[in-house]
Amino acid sequence: MATAYLFKYIIIGDTGVGKSCLLLQFTDKRFQPVHDLTIGVEFGARMITIDGKQIKLQIWDTAGQESFRSITRSYYRGAAGALLVYDITRRDTFNHLTTWLEDARQHSNSNMVIMLIGNKSDLESRREVKKEEGEAFAREHGLIFMETSAKTASNVEEAFINTAKEIYEKIQEGVFDINNEANGIKIGPQHAATNATLAGNQGGQQAGGGCC
Amino acid sequence: MSEEDSGENLKEETSYEGENEQKMEELGCSESSEGKEQETVPVTRKRPEPKPPSQPAATEKPAAETVKVSDPPAVQTGWGYWGSWGKSLLSTASATVATVGQGISNVIEKAETTLGIPSPSEISSESKDSTGGSENPAASNADAADDGSSFPIAGALEVLSTISTAVQSTGKSVISGGLDALEFIGKKTMDVIAEGDPGFKKTKGLMNRTSTLSQVLREAKEKEEQQTATEVTMATEKKAHYGLLFDEFQGLSHLEALEMLSRESESKVKVVLNALSGEELDTLKEEMEQLKEAFSLPEFFEEEEEEKKGDEEFTKEVTELFSELHISSKPDKVISVRTSAHEWVAQFNSSLPEEEKESEENQEVGSRDGDQDAKKSVEDIHAFAIRSLAELTACSIEMFHKTAALFLYGQKQEVTATDRAKSLSQLTIMLCKELSAFSKEFTTCLTTAGVKEKADVLNPLITGVFLEASNSASYIQDAFQLLLPVLQISLIEARTELSQ
Repeated sequence: MATAYLFKYIIIGDTGVGKSCLLLQFTDKRFQPVHDLTIGVEFGARMITIDGKQIKLQIWDTAGQESFRSITRSYYRGAAGALLVYDITRRDTFNHLTTWLEDARQHSNSNMVIMLIGNKSDLESRREVKKEEGEAFAREHGLIFMETSAKTASNVEEAFINTAKEIYEKIQEGVFDINNEANGIKIGPQHAATNATLAGNQGGQQAGGGCC
Repeated sequence: MSEEDSGENLKEETSYEGENEQKMEELGCSESSEGKEQETVPVTRKRPEPKPPSQPAATEKPAAETVKVSDPPAVQTGWGYWGSWGKSLLSTASATVATVGQGISNVIEKAETTLGIPSPSEISSESKDSTGGSENPAASNADAADDGSSFPIAGALEVLSTISTAVQSTGKSVISGGLDALEFIGKKTMDVIAEGDPGFKKTKGLMNRTSTLSQVLREAKEKEEQQTATEVTMATEKKAHYGLLFDEFQGLSHLEALEMLSRESESKVKVVLNALSGEELDTLKEEMEQLKEAFSLPEFFEEEEEEKKGDEEFTKEVTELFSELHISSKPDKVISVRTSAHEWVAQFNSSLPEEEKESEENQEVGSRDGDQDAKKSVEDIHAFAIRSLAELTACSIEMFHKTAALFLYGQKQEVTATDRAKSLSQLTIMLCKELSAFSKEFTTCLTTAGVKEKADVLNPLITGVFLEASNSASYIQDAFQLLLPVLQISLIEARTELSQ
């Protein structure tokens, strides 16, 4: 029942890659093919369990449109995890990843766990970006990688949960200072006392724990 | 909480007479460490106060406040008096508390655990007595309050002025000073703070524990969570936790996001101002002053007819005001939440048998038998009321957040920032009035359904609805104030466009 942690996530990436759909699939377990353009940011929340601990994910689903870029940057602050999404059927969304990544690194804390997501894996016939390319990009930039389909729900759970696992590990390793809310992690009220003693030993950098 | 707090406030107290203005912001923050005066503080969860040293709107907020306690009461029902109290509280508590130092939540908690509440029926009857059923509540309030021991009315007033109890260690002196004094204080506060009262800085110094409204609310919610987790509460009780519900409707998140946009805009404004000098700076400052003025909420004029606004009318007005903003979104969510809550109330009322309605009109609720209406328990009504208030507030804040995002979106502006501010301020007032009307409707439902309930069951529920309604209104007003830096940016951008 009691929440041990609260993690703030942001979902970023070009417009139309399926950010809002991923969120909806994760929080409501449904798919909605037509979505209104996101204005600024939308929110979703869900509880997950990791290592027997209840963790609440507070997800900020940002607008992908270029013109909102300066606004969405304001929202990065205090995120513990980011889902960087591109559309495997649109090469340009993949090409823009570097810009997104720079943005994310610049406006959030350096320990933020970033999960690279190639969405729309159900549209195999229209694929423009090979899975290997995604993997290579992730490896090069120290990201976790997954291909998902918000439509079929394939890997959606995993994407969110694996990100949380990674954050959780970082907490265990003491990489995250959980008492600093700028890291996007909040401790549940009941656990504040016990967990406050963590943090300290310098944890090693985690290599990608993704799947696929 | 800390001794510094109370020390600080005691010091301030000595200068009270001369510095009424300063008081309002202090209100509510000193009580924290003193248990002795708690009998004057009302029960139920109190709005946790925000106190943002870094918050952009901090200096503007006081400007929004108006102490309004002399409204004609709505004495049509047994709860008429409370109804108007609720409304007054809306405008009173909000902005005030927003600038107050930390500590109020602790006060409230202590108060919650130790105090009894005033009996609303006593209050309403007393108010009727003292006014002779007329419509001069100010008089009745003052009368009743003069006698510090007259608990019922004092109780009502003190809800309104937990604030005052905080400043004054007793709070009674403020109340006995009469409501005019309170009103005076409020008005003055606004002027003085706007001029950068040194006392305000002092207050700010006290507020360093947390910095934003959303943080404060989050903490409050977490406390509630903790309480609900530890206590073996009934499911109904859990359903009626405002803080949890407000978060569930993403009110907290939208508020947090709005705060981020506001803060960022604020620092951009500073950069711009620093880069300017001479005449250019003066003109800009002047324009920004005008904009700021549009952010001071006028007093809420209480017109009884307006209370009875039909569904279409609210929808129409909100839609119109919103369209004046010239942005590509609509207030549909707020409207639909509001509409469905009203439908619920209407349905409830129509399910009442005739005679009961009459008794209600005769202000004799509480003395009639009303067992025909066993369909909805008072807990159900209370839960629905709290839920509706939380949802409407969350949606309103979401609306403000989206509005801010669209203002910053950077499209060519068809309306000036000041015009937008004016529309938004109207909108804010409408929403607050609506919340007040809601609280009246819901509490009327409660009294009707709860005629057979014991006072100690019914009263906390009623108090809770009024309190959360007034809290809701102050969250909305605070959120509105967060839009100021955003519109300042709009204003600056419009100017640069012009000059190019």
